[in-house]
Amino acid sequence: MIRWAAPLALLLACLGPGTLHAQDAAMSRAFELERQGNYAGAAAAYRTVLAARPASAAALLGLERVLLPLDRPTDILPQVRAALAAAPADPPVYGVALRAWAAADEPDSMRAVAERWAAKVPGDEAPFREWGAAALARRDRAGAVAAYRRGREELHRPDALAAELAQVAVADGDYRGALGEWLAAVRSLPGYRGIAVSTLAQAPDSLRPDLLTQLGHERDFTAIQLEANLRTRWGDPLGGLRRLESALPAEGPAATEALHDFLAQLRTAPGRDARAAQGRALELIAGRSAPSEQARFRLEAARAYTQAGDRNAAHRMLVGIADDRSAPASVSAGASSTLVQVLIGEGKLDDAVRRLAEHQAAMPADEYAGLRRRLVLGYIGAGNLSRAESVLGADSTVDGLALGGRIRLYQGDLAGAVQRFEAAGPFAGDRDEATERTALLALLQPIETDTLPELGAALLRLARGDTAAAIAGLDRVAATLPPAHGAAEIRLLAGRLAGAAARPADAERLLRAAAVPGAPGPAPAAELALADLLLQQKRPADAVAQLEHLILTYPGSALVPQARRRLDEARGAVPRT
Amino acid sequence: MRRREFLARSGAGLLTLSPALSRLRPRSTAAWLLVPMDDAQTDHLKAYGLAFRLLERGGRGEWFLNYRNGSFLLPSDGATARDAALNGVATEPLDDAQVVRIRGDIQGGNMDAVPLEKAPKVAVYAPPNAAPWDDAVTMVLNYAGIRFEKVWDPEVLGTKLRTYDWLHLHHEDFTGQYSKFFLNYAGAPWLVDMVDRNRAMARQLRYPSVPAEKRAVAVAIAEYVERGGFLFAMCTATETLDLALAADGVDIAAAYADGTPMDPDASSRMRWNEALAFQNAQLELSPTIPVYSDIDGHQVNSPERRQPLGSFTLFNFSAKIDPVATMLVQNHRQVIPDFYGLTTSFTRSRLKPSVTVLADEPGAPWVKYIHGEHGQGTWTFFGGHDPEDPQHQIGDVPTDLSLHPHSPGYRLILNNVLFPAAKKKELKT
Repeated sequence: MIRWAAPLALLLACLGPGTLHAQDAAMSRAFELERQGNYAGAAAAYRTVLAARPASAAALLGLERVLLPLDRPTDILPQVRAALAAAPADPPVYGVALRAWAAADEPDSMRAVAERWAAKVPGDEAPFREWGAAALARRDRAGAVAAYRRGREELHRPDALAAELAQVAVADGDYRGALGEWLAAVRSLPGYRGIAVSTLAQAPDSLRPDLLTQLGHERDFTAIQLEANLRTRWGDPLGGLRRLESALPAEGPAATEALHDFLAQLRTAPGRDARAAQGRALELIAGRSAPSEQARFRLEAARAYTQAGDRNAAHRMLVGIADDRSAPASVSAGASSTLVQVLIGEGKLDDAVRRLAEHQAAMPADEYAGLRRRLVLGYIGAGNLSRAESVLGADSTVDGLALGGRIRLYQGDLAGAVQRFEAAGPFAGDRDEATERTALLALLQPIETDTLPELGAALLRLARGDTAAAIAGLDRVAATLPPAHGAAEIRLLAGRLAGAAARPADAERLLRAAAVPGAPGPAPAAELALADLLLQQKRPADAVAQLEHLILTYPGSALVPQARRRLDEARGAVPRT
Repeated sequence: MRRREFLARSGAGLLTLSPALSRLRPRSTAAWLLVPMDDAQTDHLKAYGLAFRLLERGGRGEWFLNYRNGSFLLPSDGATARDAALNGVATEPLDDAQVVRIRGDIQGGNMDAVPLEKAPKVAVYAPPNAAPWDDAVTMVLNYAGIRFEKVWDPEVLGTKLRTYDWLHLHHEDFTGQYSKFFLNYAGAPWLVDMVDRNRAMARQLRYPSVPAEKRAVAVAIAEYVERGGFLFAMCTATETLDLALAADGVDIAAAYADGTPMDPDASSRMRWNEALAFQNAQLELSPTIPVYSDIDGHQVNSPERRQPLGSFTLFNFSAKIDPVATMLVQNHRQVIPDFYGLTTSFTRSRLKPSVTVLADEPGAPWVKYIHGEHGQGTWTFFGGHDPEDPQHQIGDVPTDLSLHPHSPGYRLILNNVLFPAAKKKELKT
């Protein structure tokens, strides 16, 4: 024997590398054929490799891959049998075997393979997980559940394969069962919480109260966290936070971690309640953080509270940060900026001016200019035009010019307003502001007089939210102007406002007065607005007549396609959108 | 109507009667309106409504087959001009001399002028609770402004159907198996409602089961065609109508529909001589597969057999020899993207020899659009559900035809609606 050993080693040394090289080349060729989409060729190449090396997991998996698009998944069975004989402890071989028997619709063989595999790896979930997955691949959910339950029994662990059972339960619409399984899975492995929340969140509305009740009976923190997250997903972020807060550990990293996890859920949740919950969660984190980090979390909380409209809470968070010389500069400047916004929102404009002046040096120039413009808008909103003008000062940016135009307009200086609006151009402010400015220019341009204080006063009332007074003022101003020189445009605006303010009779009167042949510019728009109003009032016959009049009287108007669309809707010719 | 008004109206009507009478009308610069149906048209679908409403008002027009893709010649009266303006339909004013020139062109080419005389009375077969936006024909009739009425089983099995010139069927399952959705969509509210409604109707009409009642409806529809009615069917109504007609004494319904399983030898026992269009089809025996037979070439609801969508091509016919077929294929596009339906297409080998194929997919074993005669009437089958929603799924948002005013697929439907308005000639097809 010993005499044979040296020549055999020599033979292996001579032949081995060459043979291995040939097999590597065969694998490369198989991969390349697969990449090219030549699945039949690839299958033959993989089979060649497997003939030499029956236990090659890469070749076996490759063969499995290419047989799928050929719709011949069961053709792999001879290679699977050979691989199981050659490598009876190799997990990938068992996985392929399970899938092959599943494709062959042989549940008994699947069970036999899984049992054989489980015997090789006692205590391991993998054989049962793969068995269930293979059953699921052939849409046999009952078979999958049986495999998972069998695994749970064999492993003597009530939480074994809980995540898999939970997902099958969700697919079956059994959300109560899914909740129990997910709880077990998350308790065992907290990393499952994300997927548990996202799948349970899909539960129908009618089941949600029951699921929350089921969670309410649980006492452990995992269940409470899950409940908080689900409440947030289901539109009750404040309820979710209350539940979480009630169970938070007094101190320690677990509480902070739970709050951060909850915050991550809130970031994508829309609405004021979500922002308020975000503010409260950040406030709680700030209370549990090191002093060096507290200011940052309090500032973020203040911003969230501001977005939620809770100025008192925002103010409470900001007190001290802006003046705290130990806080980082960026945090201090951010706090000042937020505080100014809060003060503007509270109507404490003079305080806001003082704060802004104090912190001007620490603020970026753009941020300072933006806050100053918000202050100008605040003074306009308060009706204090002279103070607005003085705060704006000699701001010659396009945004400043646009604001200056508004102040002139509200003062009744139409020529000054038009000049500034034109100078501001179409790029000042956001898209809505630019559109509104263009509409104002269209309103002002037909008016021949340079000053019209009554119009400015009416528009200022509108800017301050007093729509009723604005409509009355606009109506009075229109009565003093000829139809073709501003009256029709002003009545069109007043009519639209009256429609939006649920005063249909006034709206109809004003829009009819605007739709006069003497003002061919605004008349089609007035007729279209009138038709919309009539449709809202469930008067489709009147609306149809109005739309027909518009189309036939102003066939060249850009509004004709829109009028035809409304006509189709009024007649029921197209679905309403 | 007052005598003076009557005389004025009838005089105006006479003037529009025919080109020959146009000599009697005072010369004006725009005696006629040409409704072009080529790419100059701004709304192809509403153009049909324009012509239809003219006929409803008692006016007359002409359909210029193959002239500018099937344009219409209408009198340039105030009502028609107003209607065109309101609906955004492009028209071109013509004087008599221009019309004469066009007639010369028509005479010299593969074209013809067909008088349009009377607005057909249109019925759409649909259950009372049918959604208005789930049937291509209902949608396009609404969009074009063509008046129609809904009928269902009581009207078909009674006498009312006889009062209509044109009947449309869409996705009704005349085998009485609820489109074979019964098992796969069990519990869905719309299906529960459909089943309840059909069972109640079968009981009310004293039939032992829904399949028995639906077969009686199919037979009544075939008799309506035989008496001279115009039938247009789309989607699964095409295939199931013929299956129901041929299933004379054969149980082709699954047990869930009539309490007894389908006859396993049903395919060999069908009486295809009683069907309108198809013969020798093999029926699908599984109640869980929403497929009826191999009449449909695409088998959209059977993942293993489903065929991909291609395009179908309209055939050209001789306008002067085959005016009916020519009318049915008037279009501004010859090649049209295909669209799925529960029945998408018709396997060529399952067509009866007498069937006229109007459109097919070149090289494919199926055709898309077919026509034939039955007794005194005619039928036209168009595969697919919605020409502008090729992958239509249950619950899809409704198609808004104002976004598809030039849809060539929907034009084919409207050709069918206007076809009965054409003055009958000796048909050679």
